[in-house]
Amino acid sequence: MPDFTLTAEPFLGGYSRDFDGTTLVEVTDVSITSIAQPLGGREALATAVRSAWGCALPAPGETAKAGNGHRLFCTGPDSFLLTGTGVGDPAAKALKGAAYVTDQSDAWVTLRLTGPLARPALERICPIDLHPDALPVKAFARTVMEHLGAILLVEGADDFTLMSASSSAKSFLHGIEVSLANAA
Amino acid sequence: MSQPNRIDGGLIDRSQTLSFTFNGRTMQGHPGDTLASALLANGQRLIGRSFKYHRPRGVFTAGSEEPNALVHLRKGAHREPNTRATTAELFAGLEATSQNHRGPLNFDLMAATDLLAPWLGAGFYYKTFMWPKAFWEKVYEPIIRASAGLGSLSKLEDPDSYDKGFLHCDLLIVGAGPAGLSAALAAGRSGARVILADEDFRLGGRLNAETLEVDGMAGSDWAATAMAELASMDNVRNLPRTTVYGAYDHGIYGALERRTDHLATANGKPRQILWRVYSKRALLTAGATERPIAFPMNDRPGVMLAGAVRTYANRFGVAPGKRVAVFTNNDDGWRTATDLAAKGVEVTAVIDARTGTAPATTPATFPGASIVMGGRVVDSAGRRGLTSITLANGQTIPTDCLAVSGGWSPNVHLTCHQQGRPEWRDDIAAFVPAADLPPGLSVAGAANGKLTLAAALAEGRAKANAAVKDLGFTASRKAAPKAEDEASETSAFWHVSEGKGRAWLDLQNDVTVKDVLQSHAEGFRSVEHMKRYTTLGMATDQGKTANIPALAIMAQQTDKTIPETGTTIFRPPYTPVPIGALAGRSRGKTFRPTRLTPSHQWAKESGASFVETGNWLRAEWFARPGEQGWRDSVDREVEMTRNSVGICDVTTLGKIDIQGRDAAEFLNKIYANGFAKLPIGKVRYGLMLREDGFAYDDGTTARLSDTHFIMTTTTANAVLVFRQMEFARQCLWPGLDVHMNSVTDGWAQYAVAGPNSRKLLAKLVDGFDISNAAFPFMACASLTVCGGTPARLFRISFSGELAYEIAVPARYGDAMIRALMAAGKEFDATPYGTEALGVMRIEKGHAAGNELNGQTTALNLGMARMVSKTKDSIGNTLSERPGMNRDDAIKLVGLRPVDRSKSLSAGAHFVERKTQATTENDLGWMTSVAYSPSLGHSIGLGFLQRGDARVGDILRAVNLIHDQDIEVEVVPTHFIDPDGRRLRA
Repeated sequence: MPDFTLTAEPFLGGYSRDFDGTTLVEVTDVSITSIAQPLGGREALATAVRSAWGCALPAPGETAKAGNGHRLFCTGPDSFLLTGTGVGDPAAKALKGAAYVTDQSDAWVTLRLTGPLARPALERICPIDLHPDALPVKAFARTVMEHLGAILLVEGADDFTLMSASSSAKSFLHGIEVSLANAA
Repeated sequence: MSQPNRIDGGLIDRSQTLSFTFNGRTMQGHPGDTLASALLANGQRLIGRSFKYHRPRGVFTAGSEEPNALVHLRKGAHREPNTRATTAELFAGLEATSQNHRGPLNFDLMAATDLLAPWLGAGFYYKTFMWPKAFWEKVYEPIIRASAGLGSLSKLEDPDSYDKGFLHCDLLIVGAGPAGLSAALAAGRSGARVILADEDFRLGGRLNAETLEVDGMAGSDWAATAMAELASMDNVRNLPRTTVYGAYDHGIYGALERRTDHLATANGKPRQILWRVYSKRALLTAGATERPIAFPMNDRPGVMLAGAVRTYANRFGVAPGKRVAVFTNNDDGWRTATDLAAKGVEVTAVIDARTGTAPATTPATFPGASIVMGGRVVDSAGRRGLTSITLANGQTIPTDCLAVSGGWSPNVHLTCHQQGRPEWRDDIAAFVPAADLPPGLSVAGAANGKLTLAAALAEGRAKANAAVKDLGFTASRKAAPKAEDEASETSAFWHVSEGKGRAWLDLQNDVTVKDVLQSHAEGFRSVEHMKRYTTLGMATDQGKTANIPALAIMAQQTDKTIPETGTTIFRPPYTPVPIGALAGRSRGKTFRPTRLTPSHQWAKESGASFVETGNWLRAEWFARPGEQGWRDSVDREVEMTRNSVGICDVTTLGKIDIQGRDAAEFLNKIYANGFAKLPIGKVRYGLMLREDGFAYDDGTTARLSDTHFIMTTTTANAVLVFRQMEFARQCLWPGLDVHMNSVTDGWAQYAVAGPNSRKLLAKLVDGFDISNAAFPFMACASLTVCGGTPARLFRISFSGELAYEIAVPARYGDAMIRALMAAGKEFDATPYGTEALGVMRIEKGHAAGNELNGQTTALNLGMARMVSKTKDSIGNTLSERPGMNRDDAIKLVGLRPVDRSKSLSAGAHFVERKTQATTENDLGWMTSVAYSPSLGHSIGLGFLQRGDARVGDILRAVNLIHDQDIEVEVVPTHFIDPDGRRLRA
């Protein structure tokens, strides 16, 4: 065996900060798996998802609770993201070949923004309408913030999960920090 | 005496006194004052000097249309020029200075310009400063610029911060006057999401400036009550100090919110926020702007708009003069006289340009005042402030403030931002919005020509109800607020033609009636041409008070009607928007996002300097102590790599995960060379063509399983290639089962190159056989390293050495580079950057961005045989065009200086030894050059006509820019290891 072992380093070093009662925290224990439905394989995938996680395939823009704390996002007509802990290969196994699976855990940085400043801060960088009528709890949207592609999931009234590309994680974080400082 | 012009009443807080300075003189005002109202209260009539003639000017209006009272606000780097004193909110410690004068404001040395006025009419500089031609830029223009103009910049970096944001609503209401408040109440009560924006800090519009009643209470009290109700509604957002400055596509409006301009300091918060408002419907209730009547010598401090004069009296408790005269062509002007008289201010005269009897207000209200019907002001006196006016009947009336009303023009601007043209209404002598409004926008109140209070309140409510009903809300049944319509008859009287002296139209640009006439006489018949020639309607106020009177004069001159003459185009912004606000927070290093590789922190610690490649920062070289410059570092990195082993972060190359039953077939169509039969566990170099047959990207693709491929692209084209493939997948071949994910960010990837690379990697892989037999050149595998970390290994080489690329999930990237360096210590492994990478690829003859420049073909690159003719692929057919396959086509060749001590330069062009260096003799150009530490001299790659047939020939490489002309020998592109023995070792 090699003399070396590799230790994972979170993209933002496990960032966590409180802004006057609003918290911004890097979520480091999340796994993200991209699931692509094979052409003509909708029903087979729906069946596999139901038997693996007990949920139906969500419609575009919607998410479904997928057991074990996992959540299934529909990101396009034939594509889904599964988030949770330790998904990756287990997801591929669970679907038994009914989908093409790509581990994307390292492609995304995930932040959780919770508290009264969350909405005023997002208002400064997020172009989409976050009003509950437009984006209810557990709905998500793909959007662009500070020139960076992002996924926003509404976890609760003032509670959001934000995902963006891991290589620009620091720029993404900076954008949110500035917004929190400006909106405070 | 402090505040000699302060009178009773007004919406100011007299319990507090605010000190401020104007040109260093300390004055007092109160919360609720604008700088203009406070200056007037302190008797300061002279505020600045005019643009061209340096004439004394004072406050003219009480709003954002102000042409005259522009000041420098604040000091040092915080100084903002051209701030309208009429909108600047007073705060304790405010410092303002006047603009555009040399020496003190009272004794401007440049005022002599005014004596030259007969020679300085419209366009004088176009005609006067014609000779000598070269003097324009160097002499004349600087002099003119120095003497003309508005405020001056601090020329220091703006220390304030700005922000942007996004708002969403069902109904955006622009303007919180009577119509806007009535609309907001109606829409708010329906439950719709409403945004109410107004440029003022106190919402209510003219309700705060008039003495009219709504629902049985003072208009300003009703406005405060309405605001309180709106503030209590969760679905209504009030944005005071916010100007909606532009109407854009799809119901999007631009709005500038001034967050801290009314405070002494911003306390680190953004000074202003530029909002992008997404509305489903919008209602313009922006009111109307009063316009002047042009008469000779009408620009003196003390000559003001009539509506503004009563705004100062009613809202701010300030009498702009002790003895006020009114000159009007409409009923509304009379109300200024009435309101001032009610406040105990002496009204010396009311001059109405209309003949007949005075309107309803009886002259008895103004004891001692001259009431002149059919009267016209033909002259005025008072150098630094008005002292008297003279009428056409010869009467001279002493006055220190002349309130002028030429009627009201609806603020139609936003209705015209999408090429709409307003319509003329004779009854109010004004343009009103036409039917061609931006989609989703409606107009109510004075902005729509409803110039009286009851009508404005009713229309605001009705239009808001219509908008919310349209969106599916149930409109509130509550009736419109009750009020009466005031007298509002007007006449189309624009200009007093009697009398001598200049009659100003555009006070900000010093444009007179004569200038407009002259422009017409010189052939500028279109209103747009007149605007450019005279500069009427330009600069910070955009002619809000000047345009309509000027149009009227132009129409008279051409015997046309005003609507036939037409307006100039209205464009955003409605009022000035600072460049800082447009930039927002995107300044300096945060202008664009930065992408960092997983080894970035380690590279910083290891002496790397970084180069921007797209948004990425890549290490360009790693300087070691004692190295004298970048070449020392780069040469060493190349030598150490070629002699032992080097490690380079190649994470930035695009990585695309491609899966599907038809993935192989798909790649076969994307790449010009064959991929259908690529075995599992193998990598292949691929070339992509554009539809037009030119080469556009290259890279390698590895096959991990029957249905799974990993493609790499160049760093620069990663996004483009992904996008093009997504287009091909969705639109060209939707019948193929193919799915793609960008995994560029997901994997940290390192090139490990050099004769000791295998030995180094053997120390890290978990029992995986990487011997040449088990893992030959162009092999790939998924494996684990360092005791279980998942990894991918590719045996590919850009350097030409025995080399691998090892990829691990990005979170292990930092640990991986440290492990690689530690494991390589015994081999004296070196990290290398993009420069050494470039040197080694040139030594090996690999094409890169300089060669794949979008104008070269596979044939040019020496890769013609790669374009498979046994299959169809993107660009294949069009690459067969005869023009792209000429016998004399340029071909990629290697080059070396005949005199090995000479350096080649990229961009040099090739000519035969005995021909002149001219375009006709051009044979091609040098694309890439490097100093080769391996060979000890300069080497280059280049495109040369019939290059493949010219190996061994001597040519000249001529670089006229660098004044270089040297002999070069044409050689094969592979300078190092032409047989590829090293990379197969």
